[in-house]
Amino acid sequence: MTSITEDLSSSGPKIVLPGDILPGPESGLLDDAPTAPVIKLGPGLQPMDDDTIAAVKAGVLKHAAVGNRWWVESNQRRYVAATGESIIGVVIGKSADYYKLDIGAAQPALLGVLSFEGATKRNKPDHKVGALLYCRVSMANKDMEAELECFNPTTGKADGYGELKAGFVFKTSLGLARRLLDPKTLVLRLLGQHVPFETAVGMNGKVWINSAKPAHTILICNAVKNSEFLGAEECRSMVKSLVEKL
Amino acid sequence: MASASTATPATTAASPAFTFSASTFQKLHPAEYFRKFVSQGVRPDGRLLNGFRPTTVHHGVITTANGSAMVRIGGTTVVCGVKAEVAEPRLDAPDQGYLVPNVDLSPISSSAFRPGPPSEQAQVVSEAIHRVLKESNVLDLKDLCIEEGKAVWSLWVDVVCVSYDGNIYDAALTSVMAALGNVRIRNPTYEEGIVKVSGAEDLSDDNSFTLKLARTLSSATFALFDTNLVALADPNFAEESVSQGRITITLDEAGQICALSKIGAGASSPALLRQCLGHARERAQELRQLMKQ
Amino acid sequence: MGGSSVLCSVVGPTEVKIRDEQLDKATVEVVARPLVGLPSVKDKAREQNIRETLEPILLSGLHPRTLIQIVVQTMKDDGCILSTAFNATILALLDAGIPLKSILGSVTCIIDAQSNEILLDPTTEELAQAKSTHVFVFDNKSSIANNEDIMDQEELLANVLFSDSTGSFSEEEYFECSRVCFKAAQAVHGFIRTAVEKKLQKEYQQQE
Repeated sequence: MTSITEDLSSSGPKIVLPGDILPGPESGLLDDAPTAPVIKLGPGLQPMDDDTIAAVKAGVLKHAAVGNRWWVESNQRRYVAATGESIIGVVIGKSADYYKLDIGAAQPALLGVLSFEGATKRNKPDHKVGALLYCRVSMANKDMEAELECFNPTTGKADGYGELKAGFVFKTSLGLARRLLDPKTLVLRLLGQHVPFETAVGMNGKVWINSAKPAHTILICNAVKNSEFLGAEECRSMVKSLVEKL
Repeated sequence: MASASTATPATTAASPAFTFSASTFQKLHPAEYFRKFVSQGVRPDGRLLNGFRPTTVHHGVITTANGSAMVRIGGTTVVCGVKAEVAEPRLDAPDQGYLVPNVDLSPISSSAFRPGPPSEQAQVVSEAIHRVLKESNVLDLKDLCIEEGKAVWSLWVDVVCVSYDGNIYDAALTSVMAALGNVRIRNPTYEEGIVKVSGAEDLSDDNSFTLKLARTLSSATFALFDTNLVALADPNFAEESVSQGRITITLDEAGQICALSKIGAGASSPALLRQCLGHARERAQELRQLMKQ
Repeated sequence: MGGSSVLCSVVGPTEVKIRDEQLDKATVEVVARPLVGLPSVKDKAREQNIRETLEPILLSGLHPRTLIQIVVQTMKDDGCILSTAFNATILALLDAGIPLKSILGSVTCIIDAQSNEILLDPTTEELAQAKSTHVFVFDNKSSIANNEDIMDQEELLANVLFSDSTGSFSEEEYFECSRVCFKAAQAVHGFIRTAVEKKLQKEYQQQE
């Protein structure tokens, strides 16, 4: 399968399946990589019992020379929280200290009532059950519920995090959500040429759309969902035909 | 091995007060406790890795059944009763009777079993025995025919576990084979849609028949423990609960393999299988001796 | 696979009932459903076979206190349902992104009663003629290890993840079947790889 690898990123020319062992220096794959003793492993790679590193998910093996990082880019539909990711959650419960948010993972996530920009004990935002919040995962641990926050920890500012009012949310696969965030992905750009809209994409596969008319929202939603397995040309004609019907 | 010490060597060295008894260690870290024994080539009950527990077979323990047997393998005791009933044959097999094995793991036998519908384990063992009897043609079902298309014998082979301490498959299969071996059914007469079985006189060769078993099956089960895969013959309940998989080999008297299943515990090498096969052959010999009345 | 088809869905990691919760790993639940009617004892046995084979290769420690539910629905049955179910399950697990130690491939073969020949992937008719039936599952680890040592026949006989055989056969016949099925399992692994590559290719084609 060299054809696919060429038009993919130059740094990750390899599709791996679980059990595939990360090639050692002799394979030639690592020629461009510095022979740093430290390797940082990202999602989809795990050290095995016999001191080798093997893939545990099916996907594209990626490598960043900076920090000698390796990871597997894979797609799935179920979200597993990871620190630092921006996600969209729905408030499903509220207590004195915490909001409980459904983020599409196995367990609900916790968002402290003070985890908002400028929130104090006296002055804090009040969100109803059912409210939609765009937030950041501040702590994710496999043994505990994820913890969220609604501000940028480096600046302390909201930076766009917070409640998403009005609009419409739909679910996509995690891979599609990640690709929507990539400026190289066409569909959102194409749609923007025809209809004005606001969007927020959560890494948990939830996509929020707000536009002037419900008809536009439906169009965008359908276009994004359709685009998952389409090529660039197909995507253009799909968007065109949808817009024409409007 | 008698006194196992704490988990972390550092604390043991510093304060011997942290040691606890072997039975506490067993409860806290059953797998680790077990690993210590296995690494020495013995098991907590004193057996070697390939040692089977003492086994006894009693024939004809239930007088009201057509055939029965009780088998004891270590702490596991099962009773098997075979009852013959007249039934209508299936349309697609008008000259074949039925052979219906069922294994019941009652809550009496172990605290691990709950009352209610048969557990997954009971169903799986029943199915395994059903399959091995069927696939290896132990009994020609045509022998159970009374009148083609009208009436056949249906043999209900019920295995009840009285006391459970692991390795139910071997115990159940041994008891089924032993019970089938002493089945005696009265000769039926078929007249105009009615099957008559006289029940007056004592059973003798003249008024009853026995089953012709094509082969006698004997099985050996091995529990697979740990990633480096140690095979433990005839596992007891404690060993079953710490093991990750098992190999079951069923042989007939000619040494042909009738069923072989390996499940769980990651990949195992053919060498291990061959080793188990060797032990299974020895065990089969032993079981055949026991099964002879 | 041929005339048989099995639909498999994987849900997880998701919330688990407190009763089934395991603190150190994910609970794996397999539900096997037959073509028609209610699940029987056979399906229970199949459930156990699949679950216990998957447990060692699923890295369930990565998702403690969750449930991974696998539903295996038979759609068409023309022999080798167990093998088909295994292969469907592994593809579904890959698609769901559940972390796995390795992938597996399953192959069924029979020894024909008349000709004593080994037939791979038998149909229902062929199964009826069989002297013995063998189901094997191999992982892709052993295939990698063995390719280097292909001359050694004993080594070529790969490590068996799951094996289930019934009928009447000798030790030699068994290992011969194992050898044949192992080679066939390589093809299954290859097929799985192509399937995954095709899907990834589709996903990435939109980017410019």
